[in-house]
Amino acid sequence: MKTLAIIRREYLERVRSKGFIISTVLIPVMMSLVLLIPMLTVDKVDAERTVGVVDPSGVHFETLRTILDERERPRIVLIPLESAPGAREDAIAEMTDRIRDEDLDAGLAIAPDFIESRQATFYSKSVSAGIVREMIAPALNRVLRENRFAEAGVPDSLHAYLSAWTDWTTLSVSEEGETTSRDNDAVFAVAFTLIMILYMMVLVYGQQTLTGVIEEKSSRVVEVILSSVPASRLMSGKILGIGAAGLTQVAIWTAAIVALSTRGINVGGMSIDASFLTPLMLASFVIFFVLGFMLFSTLYAGVGALCNTVQESQQFATPIAMFVIIPMMLLTLVMMAPSGTVATILSLVPFFTPILMFMRVCLETPPVWQILLSWALMVATIYLLMRAAGKLFRVGILMHGAAPSWGTLVKVLRQGD
Amino acid sequence: MLSLRNVGKCYGEVEAVVDVSLDIPRGAIYGFLGPNGAGKTTTIRSIMNIVPPDEGEILFDGLPLDRERLDRVGYLPEERGLYRKMQCVDQLAFLAELKSVPRREGRALAEQWLERLELGDWKDKKVDALSKGMQQKVQFAATFLFSPDLVILDEPFSGLDPLNIELLRDIIRAENERGCTIIFSTHMLAEAEQLCDSICLIEGGRKILDGSLEEVREDFPLRSVKVVYSDGAAPPKDLADVTQSKPDDDGWRLTLREGADLDALLDRLRAQGSLSLFSANRPSLQEIFLTAVRRRRAEAGEEVAS
Repeated sequence: MKTLAIIRREYLERVRSKGFIISTVLIPVMMSLVLLIPMLTVDKVDAERTVGVVDPSGVHFETLRTILDERERPRIVLIPLESAPGAREDAIAEMTDRIRDEDLDAGLAIAPDFIESRQATFYSKSVSAGIVREMIAPALNRVLRENRFAEAGVPDSLHAYLSAWTDWTTLSVSEEGETTSRDNDAVFAVAFTLIMILYMMVLVYGQQTLTGVIEEKSSRVVEVILSSVPASRLMSGKILGIGAAGLTQVAIWTAAIVALSTRGINVGGMSIDASFLTPLMLASFVIFFVLGFMLFSTLYAGVGALCNTVQESQQFATPIAMFVIIPMMLLTLVMMAPSGTVATILSLVPFFTPILMFMRVCLETPPVWQILLSWALMVATIYLLMRAAGKLFRVGILMHGAAPSWGTLVKVLRQGD
Repeated sequence: MLSLRNVGKCYGEVEAVVDVSLDIPRGAIYGFLGPNGAGKTTTIRSIMNIVPPDEGEILFDGLPLDRERLDRVGYLPEERGLYRKMQCVDQLAFLAELKSVPRREGRALAEQWLERLELGDWKDKKVDALSKGMQQKVQFAATFLFSPDLVILDEPFSGLDPLNIELLRDIIRAENERGCTIIFSTHMLAEAEQLCDSICLIEGGRKILDGSLEEVREDFPLRSVKVVYSDGAAPPKDLADVTQSKPDDDGWRLTLREGADLDALLDRLRAQGSLSLFSANRPSLQEIFLTAVRRRRAEAGEEVAS
């Protein structure tokens, strides 16, 4: 019951604080900004491109324009350049000048005998025009093919049959064998958002354990508490209370996302779609948050007990934070081959599991035994860390005065109970 | 009520407490005296199981003082501390809950105690908003709130004004009459003399003496008298049993040899002239304290020398 009292106190103190209310509102705003900024820059990539076309035949130009207009983005505006018979070279020279002056984004010169020779030349100043070339190339291929079909006298019905496109469906195969159709980009965006939240929550709430312990220590309230409960219970109550506050915040956000998506509200042109949040993803998010938070806050609580001020704690807190940052840097490695050996091994390292294994769960379903193993390894690590941190806590919590060093940390850990 | 049996505690090489045995009688106001750094706080922390002792045992009514029995013991640490961001009532209810008082009951008790300590108007204020003296009173309330059987107060009056000292002293006496045994650690000997009925004296981590005030005083016989002649004259130099005489305010203080005959001394002084004051007070705790500490330090010095 005493532990419950400590949990309740820690929980209420955090949930009632201004910081909690502000961050509950602010973090989603920041997250959407993080997602919106790339979208805005994508818009820039999508901006209109002007392409000058030298077409001696005068007919391919129109066909090309019709084909390109079928696509919406990026919008390519074709500008015909007059080329009198025999003056093709002049037209090309004029076009390259205009490209140099950035009047045109790119240029296309179609050979006079295009249907026979299949020759066309693409002119551009910057490499970024590659996207334009990739748009124009298939369109010009169609021009070529349709002309050759017409030349060979292929009837319309056969023409349609021959020029049909592949009808694609994208399915992802899960471990259970069922196949679901889903938009991989959207899944990735959701997964990435969740991982950012996970990362922030573990760091922010882990650090709160650190500052909470130091505050208790510097305000000297800890001695009264320890006259009523053992240090280990104070530590576990504290960790559980702060973790519960973190989960509350996650619950508020989830509820908000679900509420917004069922009403189909758009935020910044981006429709929120919670259907990508599968129950498996949500459940594992909660589990990975709980385990990750427990692991890191135990570390933070242990070193917090040794320190007198937050400044003093930084020498220990920074290396701990590295264990959260490193998996973020390894994220791309896992994304490229979620089931590869490297990803599998890395995601089983307890300090990396919350972020890397969660990423794998989002991208595809790893074998169940791997998920269970990663949890078991984390629980075992948490148990060992709790014992070590408990020792640091018992010894350190009443220590005042000299700033601790790595030496004192090792010394305390080596001392018997 | 509370017994310490050969309690010892070392911090690395430093012996903070050595072989301390004490018996604190039920219903006593027990003074825990000693100079700064004598090992008082370490002993108290050992009792409260905050720093478990390396050696010896601590018995509460003859049984080991475990967590459950600690719920009957209140503790006011020397280093005061409360959660700064918590309201007074919540704070007290929380601290009471840690002593196994149900929350609802704890809140009611908290309000009663804040009222009793003249802090009724502050009950919904955060601790941050309170003056230091008020915070100390809140903490004092936390110590007594759950009607403990034993309370340990480490320097309870430091930093308080005389009015508040009086208020707290009355509460300590009232709680003692209710049946609460009180251990009272201090180096303010006058305080201890006013409140305590038994004391122990700790120095260098060791117990030097303990017992009721009466017993302790008997072990330290009268050491000096004060003499004032109506004409302000100095006492004669060649007095038997007097080892030293020096001016003291308006008269003279005569230090006595052990086993001095007071009647003979008074007769001799009166033969000299008309006395306006002959005062033979019992030794004050201050004198006992100083004598005992010096004696022990001298002994320790001899031990080191030999």
